[in-house]
Amino acid sequence: MKKIVTLSILGLLGFVNFSQAQKKDLSTDSIVVIRLNEVTVKTCLKNQTEALKDFFIANKNATTEDILSRLPEINMIKRGSYGTEPLIRSYNTGQSNLLIDGMRIHGACTDKMDPVSIYVEPQNLQSIQVQTSHGTQFGSTLGGTINLKMVSPDIEFNNKLTGNLSSGYQTAANAFFESAVLNYSSNKWAFRGNVTYRNASDYKSSGGTVVPYSAYKKVNYGLSALYLVNEKTTLKTDILLDDGWNIGYPSLPMDVGYAEARIFSISLLKNNPNSKWKNTEYKIYANRIYHAMDDTHRENVAMHMDMPGYSKTWGAFVNSSYSINSKSNLQFRADFSSTNLSASMTMYQAGQSPMYMLTWPNNRNIQTGLAATYKNRFDSLNTIIISTRIDQFINSLTTEEAKNQLSVLQESTATINKTLKNFSLEFEHRFSKQFSASANLGYGERIPTSTELYGFYLFNAFDNYDYIGSSSLNPETAYKADVKLNYTKPGLQIFLVAYASKINQYILGMYQPTLSTMTIGASGVKQFQNISYAILSGAELGIVYKPAKTVQIVSTFKYNYGADNNKTPLPLIAPLKNITSIRKEIKRWNLLAETEMANPQNRVNFLAKENTTNGYVIANVRLGYSGTIQQNNFSINVGVENIFDKAYKEHLDWSNIKRQGRNFYTVFNFYF
Amino acid sequence: MNKRNFIYTIILFSVFSFAFIGCTKNNDLPEINPTAGYLKLASGYAAGAATKVEIYATDSAFTGYNKLYIALYDSTTNAFVENAQIVVTPTMDMTTMSHSAPKENPSSNIAVNKLFPCSVSFIMPSTAGSWTVAVAVENKVNNKTGSVTFNLNVKDPAAAKMFSFISMIDNSSKYFVGFIPPAKPIVGINDFEFVVYKKQSMMMFPADSSLTATFAPTMPTMNHGSPNNVDPVHVGNGHYKGKMNFTMTGLWRLSLTFKSGTTYADSTHYFDFTF
Repeated sequence: MKKIVTLSILGLLGFVNFSQAQKKDLSTDSIVVIRLNEVTVKTCLKNQTEALKDFFIANKNATTEDILSRLPEINMIKRGSYGTEPLIRSYNTGQSNLLIDGMRIHGACTDKMDPVSIYVEPQNLQSIQVQTSHGTQFGSTLGGTINLKMVSPDIEFNNKLTGNLSSGYQTAANAFFESAVLNYSSNKWAFRGNVTYRNASDYKSSGGTVVPYSAYKKVNYGLSALYLVNEKTTLKTDILLDDGWNIGYPSLPMDVGYAEARIFSISLLKNNPNSKWKNTEYKIYANRIYHAMDDTHRENVAMHMDMPGYSKTWGAFVNSSYSINSKSNLQFRADFSSTNLSASMTMYQAGQSPMYMLTWPNNRNIQTGLAATYKNRFDSLNTIIISTRIDQFINSLTTEEAKNQLSVLQESTATINKTLKNFSLEFEHRFSKQFSASANLGYGERIPTSTELYGFYLFNAFDNYDYIGSSSLNPETAYKADVKLNYTKPGLQIFLVAYASKINQYILGMYQPTLSTMTIGASGVKQFQNISYAILSGAELGIVYKPAKTVQIVSTFKYNYGADNNKTPLPLIAPLKNITSIRKEIKRWNLLAETEMANPQNRVNFLAKENTTNGYVIANVRLGYSGTIQQNNFSINVGVENIFDKAYKEHLDWSNIKRQGRNFYTVFNFYF
Repeated sequence: MNKRNFIYTIILFSVFSFAFIGCTKNNDLPEINPTAGYLKLASGYAAGAATKVEIYATDSAFTGYNKLYIALYDSTTNAFVENAQIVVTPTMDMTTMSHSAPKENPSSNIAVNKLFPCSVSFIMPSTAGSWTVAVAVENKVNNKTGSVTFNLNVKDPAAAKMFSFISMIDNSSKYFVGFIPPAKPIVGINDFEFVVYKKQSMMMFPADSSLTATFAPTMPTMNHGSPNNVDPVHVGNGHYKGKMNFTMTGLWRLSLTFKSGTTYADSTHYFDFTF
């Protein structure tokens, strides 16, 4: 009975998307999915990893990157209070895919100040999928794929307007958060609109020290329309607009004046449970990003400069699932995309003509790929999954100006054609009712990024070097292995994942003593080169323990190791980190206490001028209350983060900028 | 009619001409004025040669290497004279004395696109005296000879395009180095060209190829250089050519070093170039 009540409440909230349950067929077991929608989460709890992720989403204030940072597979590179760059394990951005609803989209900043996750708010999202071993389904990659799946309008109700309002405040950054979601549905049509506004001032670190240039402002709009063509066919269009301005990057010499994303897609979804072909999705899409760095708010700027960047992508893909029999199925994906990038820098010195150059000489990356995954559950104990993908990449410089400029480096300006292959084989065996294990062997390849191919004196504030690209780079290739152990019994779930990969032709910036720097004050010039190989390995451990019905303890550990062919530590490898939380539910209240701990990192890369980082422990407390006003649900969450006002930074935070000190926050959500 | 209007008129005429040709399907190309896009520096009649002489250039006369284009017209028909021998003689009259300047006569009696390319390297501005350029014409069409002398006002350019040095090797030989900037500079690889003349007497400034040159482009504002430049080598008639790489627009300083063997002749001069 209680279940029915819950479900009907959920129904009233307009959050349950029944088609979602069917979509689960698409996902293989190794996909990690975090449901962002609280209610959907409860209906879809399937495995402990989901439970683990869901557990943390108590704070509607959270940005997409806040949520990503909580995942065991994800590490974040932080350059400011906003715009942190998600890494899958220790694979860098170029070594993994970051997609929005299956769409390719490329940040427009040469300095990686705009990982595309900043253009998506949790209110836009239905779920976050993190695929490691089978991430190649979405594109040739070594590390895997993060797919930010966008939420659909809900068509379950006739002429019904539903929605929610959220409002939040945080003290450390004097930050406001306001959000509204509206959903309207008729028999055939459904519309969903959302708007989110964030306004954060410079935050205070431990002891109330203001961290200058850490403020940001942004507004995000999402609009989706869905049309039910017939029982099995749905037509959907999504528009996502995101505008950020005056985004501070305390670790960098410049901030962002303006970052603007425009994301459009049209999808046709066919879902025929009675056919062998199930869940076919066709999508065409286009997106563009304009990103402008800004130094006008900085003091003592030696020379003012403008640094705009442009990214334009369009593409199409089709996903489908073919059911061979009750035990085995095939998933297909065919995709195409074309990405144009350009960025320039203009420096101004009084009395002189402006100094202009291209930092990303105009270039295009055309990608065409085919992927297939075969899954066979032989019996109740054994499952095999085979994934393959082939990609054709064409990289080219699109203007004479771009070619002229790069010829200065004596690099080839000819079009680059590469065919990339990916393969993985996974075998899963259930040893007992409680214990199962899987092993995955894989081979992956990835194309060098535009920065690595064509970057022109891109200043990297991390090691203080100018970086130039090399169009003669070879793709990186990796042999990967991972093992996953699962132990599940009522009240206790434990999983352990260990992974290792050998990346041949690893791309790293190597110091070029003959080249003179472009940036005033830079230590030298590095050029991207293939080194013979590098090793990345690590492990993740998760424990979910329920000592009582209303008490849950979740603890996750992540550890990463990276070394080059000389056993020198690779830069930007996070140390052992643990997040442990205990949650107690008392009727409508829930109380959560958590600790975040990281070991010191002393394995650092001195060539990259990387410093060691101290370990830290911080504690947070969160309290939530859910209630009802005239049949409308609401929730209030309050909390204190970094209770003891610890001065700390994570190893992947650039510079020695301390994180937020003690922070009180409150979030109010109202559903109608 | 100023220069810009002149160019616009030419463009308009060209467009209309093309339009008409398009209509009549006539494949003959229109007669495009060969002096289009150039600036007329002087005009006069070479007495005795029955020839009108005009001097064109891309810019008004300046201290440095001036590429000039001489147009000859039959003084009665006004048709282009395309076969003639021309000798140019620059002279600086400083009242108490006079001297000449380096120059290059047209290399052929046959015009190139109806014009005779030549050069004069004015080694100082007109403020020190007055410059004249005498053009002696031997018209091979009517077989008459004559000459005309023009006054030219030579100004120092904003950034010096010529420098001179006295060789450190003998402390007496004086060289003039004239910069020939790329016509269409790009962020990328550009030709770096200059010309070297040696002062033999007040009237003789022959082209010189005895020195080897190295150079380095830098941006003084940014204090950086550029990679993969190619040192200039002598290509004939005192002209040196190399490759200079610009990594951005703006002010570039092209510092030159001249040597004879391993002995330095000069290493203190540079050209500033902005684009």
